[in-house]
Amino acid sequence: MTALSAHPGRSALHRFIGGYGQEIVVLLSIVALFVVVGIINPRFLSDTNINSIFAGNAYIAIAAIGMSMVIIAGHIDVSVGALIGVIATIAGTLAVNGYPVWVAWVVPILFAMAVNAGVGALVAYTRIPSIVVTLGMLSILKGGLISITAGEWISDLPTEFMIAQMRPFGIPSAVYFMVLLTAVAALFMRYTDFGRSIYAVGGNMEAARAAGINPERTVVGVFILHGLFAGIAGILFATQLQVIQSTVPPNLELTVITASVIGGVSILGGTGTVIGSTLAAILFACIGSALIFLNVSAYWLRAVLGLLILATVLADMARRRRVT
Amino acid sequence: MKKLTMAAIVSLGLMTGSALAASAWTGGDDLPTNPLACDGTPSPAAAKPYDGGSPTNPPDRKGKKITVVDVPKLIGIGYFNATSKGIQDAAAELGNVDAKTDGPTKANIDEQITFLDNYITSGVDGILFAANDPVAIAPVLKKALEKGINVVGYDANSIPEARQWFVNQAEFNGIAKALVDSMAAEVGDEGGVAIVTSTFTTPNQARWIAEMAAYAEKCHPKMKWLETVEAQEDNNLSFNQATTLINKYGDDLKGIFGMTSVATPASAEAVTQAGKCGKIAVVGLATPNAMKPYVEKDCVKSVVLWNPVDLGYAAMQVLRAVADGTLQPGATSVKAGKLGDLQVINGSEILLGSPYVFTKENIAGFDF
Repeated sequence: MTALSAHPGRSALHRFIGGYGQEIVVLLSIVALFVVVGIINPRFLSDTNINSIFAGNAYIAIAAIGMSMVIIAGHIDVSVGALIGVIATIAGTLAVNGYPVWVAWVVPILFAMAVNAGVGALVAYTRIPSIVVTLGMLSILKGGLISITAGEWISDLPTEFMIAQMRPFGIPSAVYFMVLLTAVAALFMRYTDFGRSIYAVGGNMEAARAAGINPERTVVGVFILHGLFAGIAGILFATQLQVIQSTVPPNLELTVITASVIGGVSILGGTGTVIGSTLAAILFACIGSALIFLNVSAYWLRAVLGLLILATVLADMARRRRVT
Repeated sequence: MKKLTMAAIVSLGLMTGSALAASAWTGGDDLPTNPLACDGTPSPAAAKPYDGGSPTNPPDRKGKKITVVDVPKLIGIGYFNATSKGIQDAAAELGNVDAKTDGPTKANIDEQITFLDNYITSGVDGILFAANDPVAIAPVLKKALEKGINVVGYDANSIPEARQWFVNQAEFNGIAKALVDSMAAEVGDEGGVAIVTSTFTTPNQARWIAEMAAYAEKCHPKMKWLETVEAQEDNNLSFNQATTLINKYGDDLKGIFGMTSVATPASAEAVTQAGKCGKIAVVGLATPNAMKPYVEKDCVKSVVLWNPVDLGYAAMQVLRAVADGTLQPGATSVKAGKLGDLQVINGSEILLGSPYVFTKENIAGFDF
């Protein structure tokens, strides 16, 4: 924002671009990908393929909303992938044991919020760095999951449990969740006191405290919210297929963090939006699908994502240097 | 602006990447292939001297009642319950074997060694095992041989000299033939097919794909391979990759091969959710339980694996033959009860036979 005041002559459009720079870049990349791949192979633009692109990665976008909040608050969570795996297993176990589906949906989400409340309290009150606390949580969840399930898969899930497979008006329900939750979270971050205090705590904790914000409570609150989004993501993940694998999806936490970072959330905290992280998750899905349409090994996805991270962080650093 | 340039670079990178597209069946390795005959005539076994071990001064057990312990990787799971059933079936049929299965409840090599050690001390005539680790299990098996105990492995081998014989459930070319033949039976000889595998470098999968390509070229030359995609061992990624294949090729795609027990059910799910059951065949390696929903809905017709009941049965028959002295080093085949003559391969291994194809008619009888 200081950069803007140095150029008072800028138009409203410039200010808009300044505020949503990274989001616009990601959006344009998505459009560019659709145009280029669509020209090479028009089937890429078929409604079924667009549906699969949006639906297949919606749970990553939803998890990235919570992750963005955590990173904006100046922390990180590397255990979210394991948490999603555990949520899926709890939900599946409840569903196959005859509990009503709403119980199978809601209980795991409450569990995720409770786990993250504990993580948040440890981070906020003991001042142990969040990466250490969540690394510990990652091992606990991962190890616990394998030990308790003994590697058995859950199958024979009841049809009414499969919320991610429902398609109101022909559009996968996961897409509705993604759009709705992103919009609500974006408004929440921008227009509520709590939302703005997340930016304040991530930007400068002591300044936030001086301004009357309780940073500890904010951090715990952010982690609980993150648990809510991770919980919803976990339910969508669990209900996408007929079986629930009892292993943690490999590298899921990295994909989620990457979505936040490429979406413009500064890894140093204090800036970014959840719209950016959702767009970035959609961009990943587009790249993943485009690689197959262009006959490129899926391994390039990781390489491309790595390049994107480096470029985004470099751009963030450059922006900060210009500001100060 | 920098960021726009970056986006342009990425898009450009994707476009140039498309030039790397290969034409052969990707995902296979470069090792020599040995496709089986189209009609299934067994290929002549390559002469390789016996490389198994032998027990020290075993007592004469010919025709006498023997006690046998079976120590699988772990007990209490469907797969080894099935091998154990096969062992019991064979023991009942032979009438002169007292067999029991015992072992760790987790696939843990240390616990497995303790179980074996205890049974060696308590005194048995024969040991059947499926090793949790081929090297770590060797000393305790050698100890058994030194005590004159007959030792036969199945499912998971040890190093050869630590046991007498190993019953090999399936060879790469046999699995490849079963997969390609099943696909050809479903989609005809000219359909376009794609493969969902774990990674291009996973040894078993790469071997299978190489053998499939060789066998298809020999016996179904008009089968059109379209693409191989990688999906690691990840359920959701496998589903997304299979869905993208369906979207990409439309009606040109007639069948999908699943190369892992994760990829096959996920591909079946992708076909189901795309509403393409009956239009796109899914043939693959998988365990029956994961595939039952799709087989019962007629979305998947053939699931290829081996029959673990037969595997246990064969292992017990081989052990009896070794104890009786009817199976000696240098033999080229062994009689295995209702399974008939089984072929000796690789010096000291016995091939179970053709892989087993699970279908709607038989899949309900398996629980693993």
